[in-house]
Amino acid sequence: MAIKFAKELSQYGLNIISGMAVGVDSYVHEGVIEANGSTIAVLPSGLKNVYPKENKKLFEKIIASNGLIISEYEDYFSATSESFLERNRIVSGLSIGILVIEGAYRSGTSVTAKLTIENNKKVFCIPSSLKNPKGYTPNNLIRKGGILVTCAEDIIEEYAELDIIKRQETDYYVKEEIVGIKPEYQEIYEMIEDEPIDINEILKKTQMSLEQVNYQLMMLELDGYIISLPGKNYRRK
Amino acid sequence: MMAKRLPTILPDLSFKEALEITKIYSVAGELKKDSGIIMNRPFRNPHHSITASSIIGGGKIPKPGEISLAHLGVLFLDELPEFNKKILELLREPLEDKTVTISRLNCSLTYPCNFMFVASMNPCPCGYYGMIEKQCTCSELAIKNYLGKISGPLLDRIDIHIEVKPVKYENLNNKNPEETSEVIRKRVNNARKIQQKRYENLKVYSNAELMPKLIEKYCKLDDESKKILNVAFEKLGLSARAYTKVLKVARTIADLEGKTNIEKEHIIEAIGYRSLDKKYGEKF
Ligand SMILES: [Zn+2]
Repeated sequence: MAIKFAKELSQYGLNIISGMAVGVDSYVHEGVIEANGSTIAVLPSGLKNVYPKENKKLFEKIIASNGLIISEYEDYFSATSESFLERNRIVSGLSIGILVIEGAYRSGTSVTAKLTIENNKKVFCIPSSLKNPKGYTPNNLIRKGGILVTCAEDIIEEYAELDIIKRQETDYYVKEEIVGIKPEYQEIYEMIEDEPIDINEILKKTQMSLEQVNYQLMMLELDGYIISLPGKNYRRK
Repeated sequence: MMAKRLPTILPDLSFKEALEITKIYSVAGELKKDSGIIMNRPFRNPHHSITASSIIGGGKIPKPGEISLAHLGVLFLDELPEFNKKILELLREPLEDKTVTISRLNCSLTYPCNFMFVASMNPCPCGYYGMIEKQCTCSELAIKNYLGKISGPLLDRIDIHIEVKPVKYENLNNKNPEETSEVIRKRVNNARKIQQKRYENLKVYSNAELMPKLIEKYCKLDDESKKILNVAFEKLGLSARAYTKVLKVARTIADLEGKTNIEKEHIIEAIGYRSLDKKYGEKF
C-alpha cells in the first residue's frame, strides 16, 4: 500500500518525505525512487551514524536518486526515543500534508498527526481493518476528522489550488529533434532569416492559411530552428 | 471592439441562467422597470479607476460588484496594467472559486461570479515593443515595471494569450471572407453540447471545470502529441499550471472541430496560446 501511494503521488510531481525507518518509511522511499520521483528522508540520528543501520543501503540509494537526507544532529549522534519524536516534527513541518498509513495505539505517528493538525495542514488516512492493531491510529484520526483516502487522486483533489497533474509518461526519452525540417516546412523556414520577420510578411509570401503557418512556426520553434519574438516576429536560431 | 463582440459568440443562455443573472441585477438595483427577465449574457467593462468594493462587491449592505454583474457573461478589463495591482490580486480567488463572499460586521453574503475574464494590454508603456516598423522607446526597467503589474499567479489563471498586430489597411480587404457571429456561435453551442454529454452525471459542465483525475481520463494524448507537449515544456519553460491549461484548451479546440480525440494540431494550437509565458515569462 505504501509503495503504491508513494509511486503514484510522486508521479504527480510531489516530493515525498519520510523518516527512513524500517517498514512503511522504507517502502515509501523505495517506491518513490522506483518511480523516478524525489524523496526526502529525515533521520533521528546523525548523518554518520545512520539509524537504522540496515538502511545504510537505502541511504545511499536516496542520495544517488538526487534525493535529500536531513538531520538536525551532530554527525555521530545516536537516535534516542526523544529524537524520534523530534524527527517527526520536521517531517510534518516540511510537508503540505501527511498521509497516515499505519500506527498502533500511542504511536509516534499520532504525534506527527497532532503536530500537523496544529499547523493547519491536512491529515490523510488510509482506513484499516479493526482487527489490525496497527490500524488504530489512522482509524482513530478518521473518527476525529482526518480525511479518508483510498487512492492518490483523493489526496491530489484536496489541493485543487495547486493544479497538480500527472505527467503523461512517454515511452522513451525526449530527443533533441522532433520533426527535423520536413520538406513541407522548408518554404517557411527559408523565409526566416537572422533578421526578425513579421508574421504578416510571412503570410503575404505564402499561399498557406494562418492556421497552417502558425502550426509550422510552432513546430520549427519546438525543434529549435527558429525563435519567436514579442510581437509575432520570428528569426533563425 | 473585439472584446465587445464576444458575448455574441457565447453559448445560448438557458432559462435557469437567465434567472440567475436577473436576480443579481435585481439585488444590485440595476434592473430597469418593466424590463423583465434578462435574456443576454452581460458584458461589463469597468474603468481602471474602479474601487475594490465596486469590482468585488461591498457597501454597508453588501451589493454585488462588477464580477457578479458579469456572472455568466464577460468581465473585460481594458489596459490591464493601468488597474491598481491590489485590485487585480483580489480577482484571483473569485476566478478560482466562481463565487465571492463579502463579510461585514453584521452579515456575510455570498454572490456567484462565474464570469469569463478578458483583458487587454500593451507590451510596454509606449506600445511599440516588438514592432519592426516602429522603435520602442521604453527602458527595460520601465517594461518590467509595467508588465510586473500583472502577477505570475494571475497570468497563470488566464487560459489563452494572443498577441495582436495593429491592423494594416491592406489586410482589411482580406481574401478570405470572415465568419459571422451566428456561424461561430453555432459551433460554440455544438461544442458545449458535446461537453455536456461527455460529462453527464459528473457535476462538470465544461472542459474548464475538469479536475485532475478527469483531465487524465478525457484529455488523453497520442504518443506524438505527448512528445510535442513534453518538448514544449522543456524548451518554452511553461509552468505546471500551464500544463493543465494547455490540455483543457486543446480539448476545447478538438470539441469545436467535433473531433473525438485531441490531435497534435490541437495541442500545437493550445501551446501557441501560452505566448506570454514563453516570451515575456521572466518579466511577470
Ligand atoms: Zn515601449
